[in-house]
Amino acid sequence: MLKGELLGIGWLTAAGTGRGRDAAEFALVPGELSELRRQLAFTEPDRRFGRLDRFSRLGVLAMALALQDAGLDRWEQKRRVGLFAATRFGSLGTDSDYFATVLPEQGRLASPNLFAYTLANTFLGEAAIRFGLTGPGVAINEGGNAPLESLVAALEGLVWDGLEASVAGFCDLPPRGSNEPPGAAFLVVGPDRPGKNMKEIKVLPDRSVELAGVPVSGWPELVAAAVRLQRT
Amino acid sequence: MKQVWLTDMAVSTSLGDLESTWERLLAGESGIGPVGHFSVDGYVSDRAATIAGLEATGDRSRLDTLLDRLLADLPPLPAKTRLLLATTKGRIDLLERGLRTAGATGNAEVTPLLDDLQRRLGVVGGVNINAACASSTIALARGAGMIAHGAAEAVLVIGVDIVSEFVFSGFSALKGMSPTPCRPFDAERDGLTLGEGGGAVLLMAREAAESGGREPKALLSGWGVASDAHHVTAPARDGCGLVQAVRQALQVAGAEAEAVAGISAHGTGTPFNDAMELTAFRTLFGDRPVPLHGVKGALGHTLGAAGVIEAAMAVRSLASGQLPPTIGLRTPDPLAAGPVSAEPLSLDEGLLLSTNSGFGGINGALLLGKGERC
Repeated sequence: MLKGELLGIGWLTAAGTGRGRDAAEFALVPGELSELRRQLAFTEPDRRFGRLDRFSRLGVLAMALALQDAGLDRWEQKRRVGLFAATRFGSLGTDSDYFATVLPEQGRLASPNLFAYTLANTFLGEAAIRFGLTGPGVAINEGGNAPLESLVAALEGLVWDGLEASVAGFCDLPPRGSNEPPGAAFLVVGPDRPGKNMKEIKVLPDRSVELAGVPVSGWPELVAAAVRLQRT
Repeated sequence: MKQVWLTDMAVSTSLGDLESTWERLLAGESGIGPVGHFSVDGYVSDRAATIAGLEATGDRSRLDTLLDRLLADLPPLPAKTRLLLATTKGRIDLLERGLRTAGATGNAEVTPLLDDLQRRLGVVGGVNINAACASSTIALARGAGMIAHGAAEAVLVIGVDIVSEFVFSGFSALKGMSPTPCRPFDAERDGLTLGEGGGAVLLMAREAAESGGREPKALLSGWGVASDAHHVTAPARDGCGLVQAVRQALQVAGAEAEAVAGISAHGTGTPFNDAMELTAFRTLFGDRPVPLHGVKGALGHTLGAAGVIEAAMAVRSLASGQLPPTIGLRTPDPLAAGPVSAEPLSLDEGLLLSTNSGFGGINGALLLGKGERC
């Protein structure tokens, strides 16, 4: 059995932005995200932030909020923390934007900056740079019968590979016309502590997940339950 | 931890299937040639290692034809095999077609591809791992971890990517592509050449494999994954992430660096990647002359498939006691401490290290041992 301790939560959805320590409610609903500005999570100037595509901005902002909530956003030495992000659509929107620069002039105007963001894992590299995180950085497309597999991978990293912490969650920007809700939410999970742990996240042998002993079956349910738990 | 066996594998590359790819690699052949399935007029190169006869008809991608060939060479899978897919861009040609003709993205999401494979193979719990050009290396590492810790008895890792105008134009725009066939670890290397291909490797717990009558083609003894936390498209010059990944792999294997007898490196042929790798290997192995080779001068850079294809070739290297030539090499980079050659190199007994790195600053390392019962 794999176990860890919930340390922090951060999210950015059409319903708003929040951290576990805030009084905000988490909801994943269809609609428009607010403008993905650096100031939503960072107080310091960040020259590279303006170069990021929307998908990366969304993911980096939500991860920053989660790391702040866990008190792990400040650093001097790089840390062995892993990043595990579930995504259905990945960089699909950026892919379209990039290919729109390829179509005219037979590719002579293709944007090298946009191309760098046409991978679902690039934003994890951006987050790793900003927070000095040297663990694995992996984007995971979870199949229909493998929900929360990114959380399972995060706990495997903690328990099997000795990561100091794992950041796990989801990040998605559905294509235009889709009814799927946009948003990102990440949990920071640390190693399990001896004794009774009120914020225990557990993966059972059948790969199902429990938070504080209560089964959860998908990311929105897990994040909502984690927010409630963080306030108790 | 349980012992992890590689019991079955299949490969489809510009040089053919597993046997053909291995034999032609050893013979010094290259699969790199002119690109014929889209116009390359606007790009810095007209070459890639493409697979003849891949067709995209109706709503099918060239990737589907590639998967047909790859999966035809796999034996029946054990019950409850888990699937780890590793593709960076999946059916990207469907997105290209959709955007050209209808301004829509088409059926280019990875999830339907994953669901199709799960149904076709009868496997459980499939996910796609996207970690750029280290995707299938990391999928192999994860699969090995699942088996070693008893979370699965059999894991099928499939790495697959095609040569598309989408990716071709991107590397051309980034100025990361060589105008001529790439020259990994050459002192005058000037960029990568893309390739397409697929690899599939079945990992099994020793006990499950033995009870199913399967033989070990190799042991996956160690694995490690680490990020540079340096830059999203350029590797850390000191190779810190790769060094960390290899040290983790050695720790998992319970081995010292001296146990590594040879290296199958990422070797893209870009100045920065190859310099980073050679620097990392210096840090890890000092001046010890560990034989080194890379396959991308023959197979091109197959992106998410690179790790699993190279692992399959590593298995053949261990069995035959030789590393294939590094095609395109003329004058080895002076940073190389050990032999790297355009001729086959002999491989002593020991572990073979296989490494890959990718955008996002991600690095993966695998340690493979000879397929003997011990």
